[in-house]
Amino acid sequence: MNKKLMNKKVFTVLAILVLLLFSKCDKGIEPEPEKPSGPAGFSGKITFVGKWPEGIKRTHLVVFKNIIQRSEDFFPPNLCFVSDSIPYNSSEFVYNSIENNFLPILQLGEGEYSYVVVAQSKTPEISLDRKDWFVVGVYCVNADQSKPAKLVINAGKITPNVNIVVDFNNPPPQPPM
Amino acid sequence: MKRFLILFLLINTVITSQTNSIKGRIINENAQPIFGANIVVVGTNYGDASDENGFFEIKNIPFGNYELKVSCIGYETRRIKVNLDNNLKLLTVVLKTSVIETEQIVVSAGKFEQKKEDLTVSTTIIQPEFINRKNYKTFDELLRDIPGVQMNLEQVSIRGSSGYSKGVGARVLAAINGIPFYSGDNGDVVWEMIPLSDIERVEIIKGPASSLYGTSAIGGVINIITRLPVKSPVTNINSYFGAYDKPKYQTWRWNKNYRTFYGMEITHSNSVSNLGYTISLKKFDDLSYKRDSFSKKYLAYLKLNFKTSERSDLTIFTNYLNMNRGNFLYWKDSRHALIPKDEDTNKTVKSNRIFTGLIYHNKFSDKLVGDFKISHYYTRFDGYGVEVTSSDANLFRGEALFNYNFSKKVLFTSGIETSYSNVKSNIFSNTKFRGFAFYGQAEYRGLKNLIATFGIRYDYIDLMPVGSRDTISGKNALTPRAGLNYKLNDNLVFRASIGTGFRAPTPAEVFTTAGVGGGIDIKENPNLKSETSFSIETGLLYQYSSNISLDIAFYKTEYNNFIEPNLTKEGKIMFVNLSKARILGVEIINDINVIPSFLKLTLGYNYMWARDIEKKKAMKYRPRNTFNVQLRFTPLPFEFGVDFRYASKVEEIDFDVTQPPLALVRDGDKRVPVYVTDILVGYNFLLKNMPGKVYLNAKNIFNYYYVEFIGNLAPLRNISLNLQFYL
Repeated sequence: MNKKLMNKKVFTVLAILVLLLFSKCDKGIEPEPEKPSGPAGFSGKITFVGKWPEGIKRTHLVVFKNIIQRSEDFFPPNLCFVSDSIPYNSSEFVYNSIENNFLPILQLGEGEYSYVVVAQSKTPEISLDRKDWFVVGVYCVNADQSKPAKLVINAGKITPNVNIVVDFNNPPPQPPM
Repeated sequence: MKRFLILFLLINTVITSQTNSIKGRIINENAQPIFGANIVVVGTNYGDASDENGFFEIKNIPFGNYELKVSCIGYETRRIKVNLDNNLKLLTVVLKTSVIETEQIVVSAGKFEQKKEDLTVSTTIIQPEFINRKNYKTFDELLRDIPGVQMNLEQVSIRGSSGYSKGVGARVLAAINGIPFYSGDNGDVVWEMIPLSDIERVEIIKGPASSLYGTSAIGGVINIITRLPVKSPVTNINSYFGAYDKPKYQTWRWNKNYRTFYGMEITHSNSVSNLGYTISLKKFDDLSYKRDSFSKKYLAYLKLNFKTSERSDLTIFTNYLNMNRGNFLYWKDSRHALIPKDEDTNKTVKSNRIFTGLIYHNKFSDKLVGDFKISHYYTRFDGYGVEVTSSDANLFRGEALFNYNFSKKVLFTSGIETSYSNVKSNIFSNTKFRGFAFYGQAEYRGLKNLIATFGIRYDYIDLMPVGSRDTISGKNALTPRAGLNYKLNDNLVFRASIGTGFRAPTPAEVFTTAGVGGGIDIKENPNLKSETSFSIETGLLYQYSSNISLDIAFYKTEYNNFIEPNLTKEGKIMFVNLSKARILGVEIINDINVIPSFLKLTLGYNYMWARDIEKKKAMKYRPRNTFNVQLRFTPLPFEFGVDFRYASKVEEIDFDVTQPPLALVRDGDKRVPVYVTDILVGYNFLLKNMPGKVYLNAKNIFNYYYVEFIGNLAPLRNISLNLQFYL
């Protein structure tokens, strides 16, 4: 084979290859920046007003990532936190999401959560069926339970004063079944 | 003066008439003689052909400097300079297998021998040279370099057939000499068991092959053909040593030392009378670049070939693998990408596996050939963590295969198969699995340049708990298939195929009821149904010259009841049937011998659109674009190579387990496109007239950090030295 032609072929192939090899020079996956150490969560107080309904077996503080628009939104991954069950007939319940986490498999990371509610159920075991639950209190703006407030959690910090008033005489709007 | 003149003429006559013979031996890279190679002294009429032991002799050639041209069908031509005088010793010439020789390649994955150009489906053939050069430690590493084949950790996917489910329920059937090779419990393929030193070739069928192989072949077949018995005794020693580079980021450095890997394999083959045998022992350890991801493995392999008569032979082979490895599941987080989650620390898995196959081949007549295959696969593993998980499975298979030539125009292939497995496990339950199948396929060559095939297979499979008479998952499946191959001219072949596939759920998919680590629990699903598929492929093979070939394929597969792991409302993983999934794509493979025998370039591109039709989103772990480049420059005795592979960033992963609230794998949704470059430098030498090679391999030379699966960083840059020689 003509040596000049051969050299030309080799050069062309190598040029294509070099272009390919260096078409991407970044290093791919990188570690996330260091975040403040320590647990992230929230705390506050739930105040109950009025007479507790009959037959309630479970009362939990529950956090959802987004507002519930369909019955499936009532479960993970939209469901992000479930507190320990609040004793029947309590007048108030002071909580901390780190200490009162009923489902440790669910983790509250840093971020915004759009729907924080107190929900009750009449089933003795915890149910994952939307129809078994009734929302009785909402973390909201200016005491307007139709306007849920956003819960903001920062890395390594506990967001305080996430207080909710549950007025059994004035229940909030219910999310879709 | 007159006397002096006579003396001068006499001496001159003696000198000019001095001749000698050029003698030598032609062998291949495995030190086996090549019969029928042509040896020509360039520019003369002198020449010879090698005999059955590879020897040749070209007599009565005057002393001088010559160039020999050595050529043989199926091998790269070599030119060698020779200085012929009285001191010329026996030459040893090593020929390497030719890469673009489409007509010569015979494929048997279709259960009878066909030329590659006569096939109706896309098929890739891998030659042993491809394996030797890159120091692949295990077979799955090799598959990463094949266009259209994707590896997600240890799980293989052909054209998007599989996502990732920890190897459970493979959709690509791996076979050794046509005998399926998957375990009785997981239905997975343990790539470490495949004896790399005894591979004659690998045939990869891309697309459903259930009509011949049944369940598990819904995405394709990888058929590994082992070598024929050797003609002369040979011992091969293959060893390697290498180390991983340290990661760039300090926060990833969990160990101050370079992490190493090494292996040693000794293989001896011989033939005594009618018996050919190969025995191989291999130890390969890897300290790994990740903590708790080490592996220590021993592989023993024995193969016996009895030539029972002129028309029949018997092959028996057995592989034994002992493995002790760490059980790295997911990283702790992206700041600690090379160490496992705290709860998974110090988890290990010990396993023993024995696979035995027996093949009796008999040519009953010129028209009828039969193969009888039986196999047994024993697997046992014990996982050590917070609790001990164990599984003990025996899988038995039997198959009778017949090829009958009705005439030169019609070939009929048919067979029956049966399988039985028994699983005792504290995570998969105790289950039994039974299968029965028969199949038939006809190939018709009655029309000029056209080959038509039609085949159909019936399978019955059931799965039941031990001690129960209730079948949990009984299934009848009928999987027809048809194909066409039309040779327009000597250079251009069109092909088309249409077919169906099915896959029965494995015991692991139906019955697993345990934590698999990383905080993830799996829940059983006795209602899991078999999945089915319908696929169409059309393509062409264009052989522009002996140096350029182009293979293009368009494919589409529709899956029904596609089985994939999904998160339940309870936060557990369960294998479920997706209602419908669709994969469309195009694959282009271009082989170019830029400079014949010296410089070869392979380009492979695959575009794939894989969608979950019900959820209207991409299927998990399927990159839309993949691109492979392989360049080999072989100015013997040196060899140089560069491999590059690209895969676009996968759109869908298991977001349920990477994002809050579960966030079981922190930063698990970190993923990037894949850009990996490997280089190799090799040197071929002769050691006592036997071939030897030394290779330096640098893999992932740019130390690019990527994942194939969530929370699992792929191998860092690593460099290894590999020495292979024959005794």
